[in-house]
Amino acid sequence: MKSYQYFIDYFKNAPAIIQVVWVMIVLFMVIITILIIYLKLLRSRLRKNEKIVAQYQNEYESNLITYLYSGNEEEEVSAEQQLIVDKLKSCVPDKFKRRVVVSTLLRLRNEISGEMAESIQKLYFQTGLINYALSSLKSKKWYVVAKGIRELAQFHVKEVNDQIVIHVNNPNKEIRKEVQLYLVTLFHFEGLKFLDVLQTHLSEWDQIQLLEVLQRFDEQEIPNINPWLKSKNDSVVIFAIKLSKIYNQFEAKDTLLELLEHQHKKIRVEAIQVLSHLQVYEAKEVLKNKFNELSLEEQIAFFKLLENVFESSDETFLQEHIQHKNFEIKVSALKIFKLLNIEKFHSFKRLLSAPKDAEIIEFIENN
Amino acid sequence: MNTSTVEIIILIIHFLFFIYACTAIASYIILAMISSKETIEYMKKNSFVNYKEILSSTISPSITIIAPAYNESLNIIENVRSLLSSHYVNYDVVIVNDGSKDDSLEKMIVAYDLVKVDFLINQQIPTKPIRAGVFKSTNPAFEKLTVVDKVNGGKADALNMGLNISKSDYVACIDVDCLLLENSLQKMIKPFLEVTDKTVIATGGVIRIANSCIIKDGKLLDVNFPKKLIEKAQILEYIRAFLLGRMAWSRLNGLLVISGAFGLFNKKVAIEVGGYDTNTVGEDMELIVRMRRYMEETKQKYKVAYIPDPLCWTEAPDNYKIFISQRNRWTRGTIETLRMHRKVAFNPKYKSLGLLSYPYWLLYERLAPVIEVIGIIYFIILAALNEVRWDYALAFIILAYLFAVLFSIVAIFSEELTYHQYKKKGTGFKLIMISLLEPFVLHPFILYAAIRGNIDYYFNKKKKWGEMTRKGMATS
Amino acid sequence: MSDAKKIVLAEDNSTLSLLLKFRLEKEGYKLLIAADGKEAIELIGQHDPELILTDIMMPFISGLEVISHVRNKLNKQTPIIVFSAAGQEEMVLKAFNLGANDFMGKPFSPNELVIRVKRLLR
Repeated sequence: MKSYQYFIDYFKNAPAIIQVVWVMIVLFMVIITILIIYLKLLRSRLRKNEKIVAQYQNEYESNLITYLYSGNEEEEVSAEQQLIVDKLKSCVPDKFKRRVVVSTLLRLRNEISGEMAESIQKLYFQTGLINYALSSLKSKKWYVVAKGIRELAQFHVKEVNDQIVIHVNNPNKEIRKEVQLYLVTLFHFEGLKFLDVLQTHLSEWDQIQLLEVLQRFDEQEIPNINPWLKSKNDSVVIFAIKLSKIYNQFEAKDTLLELLEHQHKKIRVEAIQVLSHLQVYEAKEVLKNKFNELSLEEQIAFFKLLENVFESSDETFLQEHIQHKNFEIKVSALKIFKLLNIEKFHSFKRLLSAPKDAEIIEFIENN
Repeated sequence: MNTSTVEIIILIIHFLFFIYACTAIASYIILAMISSKETIEYMKKNSFVNYKEILSSTISPSITIIAPAYNESLNIIENVRSLLSSHYVNYDVVIVNDGSKDDSLEKMIVAYDLVKVDFLINQQIPTKPIRAGVFKSTNPAFEKLTVVDKVNGGKADALNMGLNISKSDYVACIDVDCLLLENSLQKMIKPFLEVTDKTVIATGGVIRIANSCIIKDGKLLDVNFPKKLIEKAQILEYIRAFLLGRMAWSRLNGLLVISGAFGLFNKKVAIEVGGYDTNTVGEDMELIVRMRRYMEETKQKYKVAYIPDPLCWTEAPDNYKIFISQRNRWTRGTIETLRMHRKVAFNPKYKSLGLLSYPYWLLYERLAPVIEVIGIIYFIILAALNEVRWDYALAFIILAYLFAVLFSIVAIFSEELTYHQYKKKGTGFKLIMISLLEPFVLHPFILYAAIRGNIDYYFNKKKKWGEMTRKGMATS
Repeated sequence: MSDAKKIVLAEDNSTLSLLLKFRLEKEGYKLLIAADGKEAIELIGQHDPELILTDIMMPFISGLEVISHVRNKLNKQTPIIVFSAAGQEEMVLKAFNLGANDFMGKPFSPNELVIRVKRLLR
């Protein structure tokens, strides 16, 4: 007791700052102790959860497979299937189990097509999972809404289109992206109509995701992309240029040629690359005439285009540029020359005697 | 000098130390809070991204993985195989054999059916010349692989050679023994593609420590918590730094360093600034600072991004000698970089780089060990002069220790709530123990290494990289 | 007597593996499942199957390496069908160059797969 009293006195007599320090020491020790206990609990819970998830996954997996193979010709839903539907229905209200069921269904849904896929879809409806996705659309939290839209897209639920379309101009970027993916996943190229009215910027990431979804569908469906190439929204233009490249939209040739005058360098360079891919000869003359006003990137892109559409009339132009200081342009020019006029190409060996240039010529000669 | 002046001076010195300590602690707390918020945001955004499905097509941007190798013969085959098995599609791997004296090249030629090919290199950055040549595989399964054998020039020089060779838009600079996880490239490239109003010039991610993990044939089979104190302490340190530090700096656009073990760069900008500097031992940090400077000077909006996902596993030093050598090198690298770019310091022209990142790094990273050691010496002098109020000193020391422990435990919590990599029973307890021990088991050696680093930098110019003996990852 | 034809399936999606196993075993084949390329090569070495089904994108050893291993190292002409996700045409071409017999893009119909399996095993 005496020492206890000693500490209390000591504390009372210490300067304010020391008192604060000791209070904090005690506070920290208490917090640390609490956290240590909580950590142990947290880890146990996480470990337990993992085991449970694995267990449920196995269970639901076999349920799913059984469901898919126990249908019969007569009934819409066989007795065996109904059993499984009821069982899953009872699991679904539990958020934890619901997540496992959805992920199990999706793992399969994404890999297979045909009547099996439709069966999985039916199951999604029958178990009532769809209702949870729908209610998440009304949530105030953006990631809940986004996740819900994604789920509805993955399960190809067209019926809720109206409820999703209202989010097209949602201020949250992630929600907008999910809406766009939904539209494209379900309505293929038709779903791209949102590009007509898109005010916000479509990031490269978004564009790639949209393109990857579109890849799965029949190319014939692609609509006229010219309006998008003329859009005021630069990201829409870039996306349309990508479309014209991937789907060989030769019909868009004229609009693409106009884009060579666009105010943004990036778009001009992308336009040159597409015109090169589509082997549009007209582009060559347009660019050749104003070659010296072009930026370096455009010049490099132009030479790549030339590699695809060169003709013997380009010889004089090429000769002016074989000594261009840019490596890539030099290589392009020499490569073309080798194909155009092999004797002249050999004559350059004397002209371009610098070791670096000689290296280039030797490489092109042998490859 | 009369006593009252001396007293005032002493008071000022105490005051300065006190301010320094308080601001350091305040900064850790603020960074931790920002980091947590950013990590939560990141996880929400990416919780439903299926990395396996996306970007596994040719529409995705091209990436070259550049891996310099020096005398890595022990594990080179498995390491290369691991790099070749990433789930990204549009990428290739360039192994730069930097004048190895062992049989790395021969082993690779046999294992991957390599033949020498004619190759034209655009020497945008000067490097040491090619030695045995450029090799590619005759087996289509290894089409992505290019091996370059060159005259030894150091890691920076080898990376520059890779930059010259790459025909992609992005380059991933990686230590060859880093075990890359399957979806790492997808995750790393996402920031480059998502950000619309700025150019992302580099991205970094979390490096995990592979010591004691079971790795077989380049695949991570089992995650184990290591046995040695030094290894455990480093894991804790990495968790703290990555989860409670870097995410915040990324948000503030103040990141000065992403790990040298693995980083993804915008190739065009990297080459514009001249590639890696071969005259510094901190080439990874120096490149980032130089790239940032370039973007500021050319008035382009930019960002250095960071993602909290674990991306690769690498071996950390498992004995004090190598550890000290590594930290010594890091110290010298930091000093070199800060000196090289001192024009940036407190210069409003460089915005957050000059007004936030540089000053912070200078005061709280580069000078911290020095100030701490000065503080300790000062304390010893006071003790010798019997000027110390031991009870006060004790109180402060205990508080400082508890703060360090609390901070570590918070770091452990954020690790558990995010990636929960150490699942085995008993590891929780071990993590707590190392939180309690780390201030004694690691911190003194960090201080020692930093002081040696300072001394070596100023007085011993001959030191360079030092060998890290390749022990080989544990095989089952 | 079990002279059922053996098929090795290399696929890291466990739900899909289970589905295919069910389907193909109903047709009378014996299915051996590998979760990655390494396991697949081991199973092939051990059991010498009549047919191999492999995904291209797998952990560690890719489907391409599996094909290369079977055709070049083991020198076997076992029929091989590869699965690929959309947009991996380049990979599919490489697979054919290495000696694959057929490919199915994902998502695919399991019924269609059965038809192709039967055709190759006739």
